[in-house]
Amino acid sequence: MLLSGGPRGRCTRWDPASSSSRCARGRESGGQELCCRLLCYEQSERLLQESLQMKMEEMSLSGLDNSKLEAIAHEIYTDLVEDACLGLCFEVHRAVKCGYFFLDDTDPDSMKDFEIVDQPGVDIFGQVYNQWKNKECVCPNCSRSIAASRFAPHLEKCLGMGRNSSRIANRRIASSNNMNKSESDQEDNDDINDNDWFYGSEKKAKKRKSDKNPNSPRRSKSLKHKNGELSSNSDPFKYSNSTGINYETLGPEELRTLLTTQCGVISEHTKKMCTRSLRCPQHTDEQRRTVRVYFLGPSAPLPEAEGSVENDSFDVAESQALMSRLQWDGSSDLSPSDSASSKTSTNNSESRKTKKKKPHLSLVGAAPGLSSNKKKKPKPPAPPTPSIYDDIN
Amino acid sequence: MNKDAQMRATINKKLIETGEQERLKELLRAKLIKCGWKDQLKAHCKNVIKEKGLEHITCSNFDDLVAEITPKGRALVPRLCEEGTFSKNKNFPCSVCQPLR
Repeated sequence: MLLSGGPRGRCTRWDPASSSSRCARGRESGGQELCCRLLCYEQSERLLQESLQMKMEEMSLSGLDNSKLEAIAHEIYTDLVEDACLGLCFEVHRAVKCGYFFLDDTDPDSMKDFEIVDQPGVDIFGQVYNQWKNKECVCPNCSRSIAASRFAPHLEKCLGMGRNSSRIANRRIASSNNMNKSESDQEDNDDINDNDWFYGSEKKAKKRKSDKNPNSPRRSKSLKHKNGELSSNSDPFKYSNSTGINYETLGPEELRTLLTTQCGVISEHTKKMCTRSLRCPQHTDEQRRTVRVYFLGPSAPLPEAEGSVENDSFDVAESQALMSRLQWDGSSDLSPSDSASSKTSTNNSESRKTKKKKPHLSLVGAAPGLSSNKKKKPKPPAPPTPSIYDDIN
Repeated sequence: MNKDAQMRATINKKLIETGEQERLKELLRAKLIKCGWKDQLKAHCKNVIKEKGLEHITCSNFDDLVAEITPKGRALVPRLCEEGTFSKNKNFPCSVCQPLR
């Protein structure tokens, strides 16, 4: 109530039964001050201010009316409030009579059940927050204790079952295949492009044949007759689906055996020996000879009885000797930037096309011509190879 | 104070005639609901009824309930609502008083 507890301490409670005139009388004396106070509250409304101005004017006209006006206004207000209260009472009474007054209340039992829990370590529903965090399970496969939340994914990987683990394994196999391919010579890559069926996967092939059996008959031709040897010695050779062999782990006897059956030329990229046949077109006999000399000493039995031409250094004299062969097989090791083996293959193709060119031109032309030739996919030339041996012999 | 009473009567009459009474009533009701007065009072009602007993309320005089509720209701009206309505009330008497004078 506005007037209750005011500084004048006038009638504190409105009693609807009593006449309002009694209270109005008490207010007349301090009306002006009250008016001022009320004025402060009305600043937010323009209309009210206008009316107040009117009121002020009225005040100047007749002081009596002012307080009366206030009284009347207050009466009106009180009536309104009472009306509201009465309205509510009617509502409640009807609700009680009809029986729906307490319908929206919950019974005390449910209230207790769903009461908000306010204990430490527990959320408002009473559930423990990190109940499963601290628990550790022992994996039946690897006998390690794993955190509970990580247990399921760990099991999946541990047992090797589940969608993700198989996907990862496949990817790993494919990538290891790819790695070996990329590390091997560029000629190998060319050959990959040539002979898709040789190797299990291609770099760009979308359909990976990574699930191929490494010992399947479709594997590299050169490996067929070596299966007997290699399969037994797979571990020390670190075979693992690669075309090359890591020669560092081989003993001399093994090396010799290898070199008698395989090409054995060490690739510059992967530092591995070529496992293709002795007549593999990617490497020249010179290279094979070099390798054998390197490993087994100068007295090493060479793959072919080629002669005394040494290929360790690429002198001009040698190049001249080489040039004579250039016309049909075009081996050249002059430009060091490109790998010798790749040159060989590309020069093979070139020689086929430019047989009439002079040897030195073809040598020079080899380097720039390489890049263009690389993109082509020359098949391993069968006709030239017999010519090499013809020349030698 | 016949004059006062007369004045008051006239004002009331004018209020009802012009419909201002109704308008002010609705305004106040809306304000009270908005500020939560109604829910407060209803909760108070529930307490009263629980104390007195459901049957007692229905059987006994309605006025008892009113007598219980109304003072509390009046007390609960928030100051802001009160002032707003009060100030509005003042307009009317002014506008009424002028022509009367």
